[in-house]
Formats: sequence, structure tokens, C-alpha cells
Amino acid sequence: MKAADFSYHEATNIQDAINIKAKDEEAVILAGGQSLLPALNMRLSSPSCLIDISKISGLDDIKIDGDYLFIGALATHSHVMKNELVLKRMPCLIDILKMVAHPAIRNKGTHGGSIAYGDPAAELPALAVATNAEIIVSGQNGDRSIHAKDFYLGLFETAINQDEIVIGIKYPLLKQEQAILFEEVCRRHGDYAMAGLIANVNKIGNKVNDLSLVYFATGDKPDSADKTAKLYLENGYDYSNLKNSLNSEIDFAGDLNSSSEMKLHLATILIKKVLNKLEA
Amino acid sequence: MDDLKVNQNPKLGSIDRPNSYIGRSVPRQNAKKHLDGGGQFVDDLTLPRMVHVAFLRSPFAHAEIKSIDVKNAKQSDGVIDVFTAKEIDEVCKPWVGVLGHLGEMRSPEQSPLAKNIARWQGEPVAVVIANSRAQAEDALELIEVDWLEKDAQVDMETALDPNAVIIHPELGNNLFWTRTVNQGDVDKAFKEADAVVETTLDFARHTGVTLESRGIVADWNKAENKMTIYHNGQAPHMMQHIIAKHLDLNEGLVRIISRDVGGSFGIKVHVYPDEMAVTAISKKLGRPVKFIADRLESFTTDIHARCHKISGKLGVDKNGKILAMEIDDLSGIGPFSMYPRTSAIETNQVLNLSGAPYVIPNYKAVGTVVFQNKTPMCQYRAVGHPIAVAITEALIDKAAYKIEMDLDKIRKINFIPDNSYPNKSPSGVPLEDLSHQASMDKLLEIMDIKEIETKKKDDYEKGILSGYGVISMCEVTNPSPLFYGVGGAHISSQDGASIRLEGSGAIHLSSSITEQGQGTEAIMKQIAADQLGVKLESVRVTLGDTDATPYGGGTWASRGAGIGGEAVLKAARKLKDNILNIAAAIMQTDKDSLDIEDNNVIRKNGGEGISLQKLAETVYYRGHEIPKGTNPELLATASFLIEGIPFVFTNSAMGCQISIDQDTGIIKINKFWAVEDCGTQINPKLVEEQIRGGVIQGIGGALFEECVYDDQGNMQNATMADYLVPMAYEMPDIIVDHVTTNSGRSIIGAKGAGEAGTGGAPAVIMNAINNALKQVGAEVISQPITPEKVLKALGKI
Ligand SMILES: Cc1cc2nc3c(=O)[nH]c(=O)nc-3n(C[C@H](O)[C@H](O)[C@H](O)COP(=O)(O)OP(=O)(O)OC[C@H]3O[C@@H](n4cnc5c(N)ncnc54)[C@H](O)[C@@H]3O)c2cc1C
Repeated sequence: MKAADFSYHEATNIQDAINIKAKDEEAVILAGGQSLLPALNMRLSSPSCLIDISKISGLDDIKIDGDYLFIGALATHSHVMKNELVLKRMPCLIDILKMVAHPAIRNKGTHGGSIAYGDPAAELPALAVATNAEIIVSGQNGDRSIHAKDFYLGLFETAINQDEIVIGIKYPLLKQEQAILFEEVCRRHGDYAMAGLIANVNKIGNKVNDLSLVYFATGDKPDSADKTAKLYLENGYDYSNLKNSLNSEIDFAGDLNSSSEMKLHLATILIKKVLNKLEA
Repeated sequence: MDDLKVNQNPKLGSIDRPNSYIGRSVPRQNAKKHLDGGGQFVDDLTLPRMVHVAFLRSPFAHAEIKSIDVKNAKQSDGVIDVFTAKEIDEVCKPWVGVLGHLGEMRSPEQSPLAKNIARWQGEPVAVVIANSRAQAEDALELIEVDWLEKDAQVDMETALDPNAVIIHPELGNNLFWTRTVNQGDVDKAFKEADAVVETTLDFARHTGVTLESRGIVADWNKAENKMTIYHNGQAPHMMQHIIAKHLDLNEGLVRIISRDVGGSFGIKVHVYPDEMAVTAISKKLGRPVKFIADRLESFTTDIHARCHKISGKLGVDKNGKILAMEIDDLSGIGPFSMYPRTSAIETNQVLNLSGAPYVIPNYKAVGTVVFQNKTPMCQYRAVGHPIAVAITEALIDKAAYKIEMDLDKIRKINFIPDNSYPNKSPSGVPLEDLSHQASMDKLLEIMDIKEIETKKKDDYEKGILSGYGVISMCEVTNPSPLFYGVGGAHISSQDGASIRLEGSGAIHLSSSITEQGQGTEAIMKQIAADQLGVKLESVRVTLGDTDATPYGGGTWASRGAGIGGEAVLKAARKLKDNILNIAAAIMQTDKDSLDIEDNNVIRKNGGEGISLQKLAETVYYRGHEIPKGTNPELLATASFLIEGIPFVFTNSAMGCQISIDQDTGIIKINKFWAVEDCGTQINPKLVEEQIRGGVIQGIGGALFEECVYDDQGNMQNATMADYLVPMAYEMPDIIVDHVTTNSGRSIIGAKGAGEAGTGGAPAVIMNAINNALKQVGAEVISQPITPEKVLKALGKI
């Protein structure tokens, strides 16, 4: 398996990358290469040019930006996991990233790459949707910010334009009464999940008074389950009720490791597993 | 120091002497080389004028090739030529994967490239030869094939139906081979039994997944009429014969070199059409040609294994004594029987090995092997064992549950007693030097079933399903000529070793056994140094080169230590004898008063000796100083083969404890125990590596691995991301222990140790899971036991 021929451009700055991308429809961005390079080698895609953005400086910043935690697109998963600010302000991200692949892949794979790629089985897109994150993209017409909810359109399809690249993700800083809970079920550690859930919880004392549920590895993009969340708030955990609700709300798509029926079951179970963490 | 206890073989002399290496876990030197990235694998080789190939492979499981147009591909950058069956067939004769000693086998001729019809997805159809692999792949996209897709016979269970798709019309139906074993009268015995239990188990196809994929460089030298093949195989001399035969070459002028090999597991002991095509291309072009299978090619063209459905029945009396066992096994092997070992052996071993640890007076077994449009199947590590052991042990557990007897007790009641060998298996295969009773006792000693039972009850209270299993098994190792040779295959059952003292005093050893990462080289060194009385570091080893090693079978079926090791031992003893004769002549003394220690000939009663270096210098450079008539040979060669019985069997007992998450169906193996009796352990650490690695592969079969096909015969998960092998996180603690019963067939007493884990783990894991599920009236009968199957069994989905 060898990639088809392509040309290679090492971008020196963001504008440089944008310019090439605007000119060549078949050029693609190369960040950590952990998803792109296997696809090229299997000849699932054969772009004309790889625009390597990994050498652009300053794109891997992690900082507080007003009410947001900003993570630069080029911050690698390993880098994010070791960051002090993340540990203090968004520790759930570290737990989540522990479930993303293996150390060797995390050393190269980038935050922006995972967000931009939009794999429906990936953890970070679901996290971005669950936390109402903003995805910052830069293009010929300057920067714009896209709500994560509006970013994911379908299978590997995002709201990003041809000339744009993701430069960072802004996660709203967590409030006192807020918790981000996460759980997934995998056949093997580090694999993409059979089903996973990120819950954004607002609680007063021990009582959940607001909840949003976003699933990954269930359909063609991060799947929000707002009706089911509401049902839970009203009636608590009732397996069959919640299962029925999820079934009407999400179009579960089976894969090699789990049928749609299995995913529906796991999605229902995950609500219990996730909210049990609140008590713990 | 613990190591010393394991060597209980008096034929090897006192362990308490200098240079006693047999039985010690000395570090193996080649591990350092590999850690340092210093290995030499086939892909590391670049020869002048070397070209690369990429194969166009059938995208369909069954399709007619109406025409192939290679015009555009030939024009592509860097392309040297493009061949189809027509050109390759000019230099390579077809083969047929049948043997003569196991009853009628029917398999058609197979050629390197498919002609007219492609019969599995992945079968090579055309080949591009180019300056680089990437350029060859570019050109593949330009080959135009006019395909006519045909219905495929994917499902083995319908392969013999009247309306099945007949894959080879000339054979009339899809039957490859069938065998029936009938000992005693099972029907009568079942009638007399107090309890009869039945089950049907399903095993998914899986494959060997070697770290290094298959690879070959063929280099035809026209001027010398010589073919040199760099190949990561397991049986160089077998390949030498086969390549000579099918390419019409002088066998003596075919040289096979197998340097470092990154795992094989039986995957690399077969003849693959793409590799034969590569040798043919080199012959045609007169240039070195390289082919390295990529992962996709590995998954769709490396042999698969284990595709079986087996039903079984066991009858016991009320005391738990087994009266009868009956099995009926069906297996689908793809469209061709593999060459030269055939694809019948897996089923044959299922019939031979089922029930093998136990006294079963009435035994009937039927095996049926059919063709289908999937990747060919053949022998992979622990051939047939997982199926045989799983069906036997599942039935025994069922019987125990039915008559309410402890799982260990029912086994102990039925074991062929340790003191009753030589004996026979229920299928009639000769068995000797086994220790099921002692091994089970040892297992129970290290496992503590009482504690496990208590925990199981506690777990159940807490809503956790946990369970355990214990099993016993026989392993086929060290095959004799009765395995393949008698059937007409040119596969040597004999192995040779050649050992010499060099002018520098160094020892050089060469052996026909090969190394694929398991440490063969290390144990050969240990045996030679131990038997000669020299330091380990002074022995250098050459393996895997038909021009440089003695003739022999290579490494497969756990034969390296038991057969190859014995040859080394005999050669080393001969050389020692020669050395002592020369030394006695030089030192004017009686040979029996001399010995060799630490590279010196010593006088047993004290006094000055002579170093091997001095002795060698005398013999080689100042031969006139040795008394006339002394045999000056500092070179000795010996061979060994197993005679009189088909195999030297090994046995083992295994246990495991698991728990099940009832919400997710995820199974956790909490602990695994294995007791192995492989006779003399030459290097206990390497034996443990074999057991552990095998157990992990067995876990793969039990819980993860499956070549998933759709209804049209397309493999769905041919990547390392989708085909799940167990990784570090999935590996439980494995406690390994031993019983030692030396093989009486050799001085060294070693039996094979490579099959146990892979063969036994699937059975004990499935039994443990069913032990847990039984608490809620559920059961699983299909491997791999996926979370989804568990949830279905639990009625959750
Ligand atoms: C064995 C394995 C297991 C894995 N397991 C998981 C897992 O469990 N969970 C998970 O979430 N991920 C998993 N991954 C994927 C890994 O996390 C992603 O590869 C990585 O996060 C993507 O980032 P990258 O920098 O490697 O992107 P690349 O591979 O470089 O790019 C991926 C895609 O995103 C585009 N892209 C990248 N950066 C940008 C940007 N800044 N702007 C616009 N487009 C961009 C590229 O053009 C390309 O199309 C796994 C990968 C492997 C190889």
C-alpha cells in the first residue's frame, strides 16, 4: 500500500496554507497525519497536494481566552493531556484523551485534526458539541467562529469551506455547578468505541437540573439526544423509556463490531453509567 | 536458580557442572539485535537491478475474467512489464494440493495467476513489474478487466446442497475431503449412558497476523542457472524442492535464504501463488524481483484457519465415567486445498485430538471439508486443536453440570492414567509419556478453585457474573515421516546439525531448523555449548540457508527443540568425541580420563590440559605434530527423526477465571493458569514465552479475531484497525507452571511447547464464560465470543 503521487508543501504560516488551499480544490491539509496518511496509503483518497501545517508556529497554544479555554489546532493529544491549564480548567479532556488511540498516535495526532476530520466515532467532536464549543476557522475572508453544533453536517462532512483551515477550538469554561461526564464501550482499549456518550450536566447539590447528551460512534456525526435528556430529567433512569426515546431520536448505524440494536442498547446503558459517576 | 529444578533428565548429565546451559533461562542474543533494529528481514534487502511488483487481485469472490487489457498499464511511469496467467504459466507449472495417505482428496490444479475465473476476493489475476512498488500500484489502476461476476458459494453450510454454486465443475460438487473414525460402538454406548449431553459450536475464520508480512526476493542468475530466493518462510528445503519442481530448475541450484523472520505461526509454511509468480517473473526477466505483502494482501491472501462448525455428543454413566463421544465437524477451506500440506490436516487433527486426554471406549468422528469462495484455509498454529479441545471440554463441562459433579473431578475420573503409557487416544492415535493427572493436580494447586468459587458467589450477590474453567489437552508436536512424507510431500521429517571447531577455537553450528522470532538460535546454542563444554559466547549459529545448513524440515509443528535440538546434541557429542580422541593422542593419555570444560580439554584427575584453541591450531596448522593415524576431523554432523510413531505428543492443563459485564457484554479475563509438560525445557524462559504468546493468540480466537465476510464473499475487516487482535490491555496475568515427563524418543527428552496456549485457551475461556452464564441460564456457543453475542445470550438485545 503506497500512496499515489502528490505534491507536498510545507506551509510557513496560516495565510500561506490558505492561499494554496484556495487555489487548489484537491489540496488537503496535513496535520499529524494519523488519519490522513493511512487513508492515502490505502488509496482511499488521492489529493493533488498535501499542505503540511505542522511546522506553523503558534498554532499549538493552549490558553484562557475570556470565558473560554482555547486549544490551538496543532496541539497534539499528548500535549493537551500534559497541559496544566487543561488539568485545572477542563480535566475531563484528559480522561477523554486517554481513550483516544495509543500513546504513539497521540504524540502525533492533533486536536484540530480530530475536530476537522469529524470522524463520527471520535470523542472530540462529540465533546465539542456537548460543551457548546466554538470552532475557529481561518480563510481568505479572515477568521470566523462556528458553533460546534452547526459544524458537523454528516458523515465526515463539516461546515468548513474549501479555503478554510481550523486554527483552534474554544471550550466554554466550566461553571461551578457544571460537570462533563464521559463513558464509552470499546472492544479493545484505545479502539474507536462501539458507543460513547458525553454528558454536560448542571446540578444543584446532587440533583441534576439540566442535562445534555451527545453520543459518538452511533451515527454519521455527533448525535445529540435532547428529548431523551429531557425525559431523564422528568422521569429519572428508566431503561425502556429512554431506549424508546433514543430509538426515535437517533438513527443508529451498525458497524462491524456492533449492530444498530447493540448501539441502541449501549447508548441507553451509557446514560446510567455516566450519571453514576456523578454520585461517585 | 529455580531453573535448575526443571532439568530432570539424567541422560543429559549433571546440571551441576560448568557450561550446563540446558535448562537455564540464559538471555538470547538475537533479542538485542532486534531491539537495536539490526535484524535483516526480506524487505531490508536491496539488490542491484531489483524490481518491484504489485498484483491485481480479484475484487470479487467469484468472477469470470472475460478479458484483461494491460496496454495502458504498460505505458505507465516506471513500468517494466505487466504479466497475466499466460506469461507466468510459460515458466511455472501448476500444482495440486493433495496427499496420498489420508484417503481421497480432490482439489484442482492451481496456477500462480487466475486464468479465466477468479475464485476468491484477493486471488492474483495480473502483476505489474515496475521500478518501485508505488509505480506498480499506479499502473494497477490502469489495467482494464472485463469481469463477469458470478454467484459465489460463500457459506460452507450450504456448499454441498443440490443448488450450491459448484466452484470446480470438473469435480461435480464442492466436497474436498471427508473422513470417518469409528472405534467401538457409540450408538450402543449412548443407550447405556446415564446422561447424554450435546452441543454445537461455531468457530469463525481467523488468520495468523504475523508482525512481518509475507515477503520474497527472487534472483535468477542466468549465467549460473542459479535461483536465489530470499524468503521469510519456515521450511527452506521444502521451498527449494517446490521452486525447482515447478520452475523446472536444477534443485541443487536453487538456494533459499531465510534470515530473520518476523513471526510465522504456520502462515509462512505454505506455497502462495503470488510468491510463485515472483520467482517466475525473475526467471523471465533475469532480474531480482521483490514482493512484500501489504496488510490488505495479508488479510485476503495469507491462509485463514479455524472455519468450523462442530456438533458433539457425550455419554457418561452416573459416576461420571465417559462411555462414548461422537463428533461431526464441517469446515470450509476456500476454493483450493493449499500446497503441499493440503487443507485437510486441520479437520484431520480435530478428529484425532478430540477426547485425546481421556479414556473413551466408544468414539466416532466424522469430518467433512468443503470448497467455498473465500480465502484458502490451511494450517495455522495449533492446527485443529482449538476446535478439538473446545468441543471435548464443552461436552465434559455439560456432563459435569448434568450429573452435578465438580469440573475437576469429572476430568480426573476419565484421564488416561499417567502410568498407563504407551497408550492410544480414543481415535486410535498412539500416545506416550503424557501426564494429564499430574498436570491437573499441579493446576489445581496453583489455581485454588475453592477461593474462586467463593468469589463467584460473592460476585453474583453484587450483580457480577463471574466464572471459571479447567481443561486438559494433548498437543501434536515433533511429527514423524508419517505426517507428510508418507503421503508424497517432499517435506523432510528429519533435521540435521553440523558443528565444527574452527582454527580460532570458536564453535560454529548450523542446523536445518529455522528461527522466526521464538529463540531457536538461542536453544541450539545452549545445547551445543552444554554438550561440548564450551562457553555460550563461543558458539556461532547459521540457520535458514539451503547452501549452508544441513538438509531438513525447518520449524513448524513445534519440532525445533525435540527434533532439531536432538540433532545438535548428537552432533555436539560426536565432535566432543573427536576432540577428545585427538587430545588423548596429543596428550598421550587415555581418552576417558579427559573432558572438556570452559573451552579447555581437562584431565579429570587434574594436571595440565589443552585449550580448544591450541588443539585446533595444532590440528589445522601443525598437523604433523599429531600422532599418525589420528582422525583429524573437527567437524561432526548428525541427524534425527522421530521413528515408529506419528507424533510426540505434549500435554497441558489450563484454567481461567473471568467476569462478565452484564450491561455491555464485555468479558474480562481476570487470571489465566497454564501447566505444560513439554519434557526437558532447554530454556524455561523461552518455553514460557511460547505458552504466554500462545495463550494470547488463543484469547484472540476466543474473544476477538474473525475474518468477517459479507454475503457476496467480500472480506469486510481486512485492516489492523478492524481485525481485532488482543493487545497489551487485553492480556491477563498468566501463571505458567510445569510438569516434566521427558520424551523417551530422544536423549534430550524435549517435546514441543508451541501449541498449547493457542490450542487450549479458546476452550477454557469459553467454558469459564459458560460457567458464569449458567448462573442465569445462558450459554454462548460461537467464537469469537463478542460482547454482542454475550448480550444476545443474556437476552439483553
Ligand atoms: C490506530 C488508531 C486509533 C485511533 N483511535 C482513535 C480514537 O479512539 N478516537 C479518536 O478520536 N481518534 C482516534 N484515532 C484518530 C486520531 O486521533 C486522529 O488521527 C487525529 O486526531 C487526527 O489528527 P491528525 O493531526 O492526525 O490529522 P490528519 O491525519 O493530519 O488529518 C485528518 C483530516 O483532517 C484534516 N485536517 C487536519 N488538521 C486540519 C486543520 N487544522 N484544519 C482543517 N483540516 C484539517 C486533514 O486534511 C485530514 O482530512 C486513531 C488513529 C489511529 C491511527
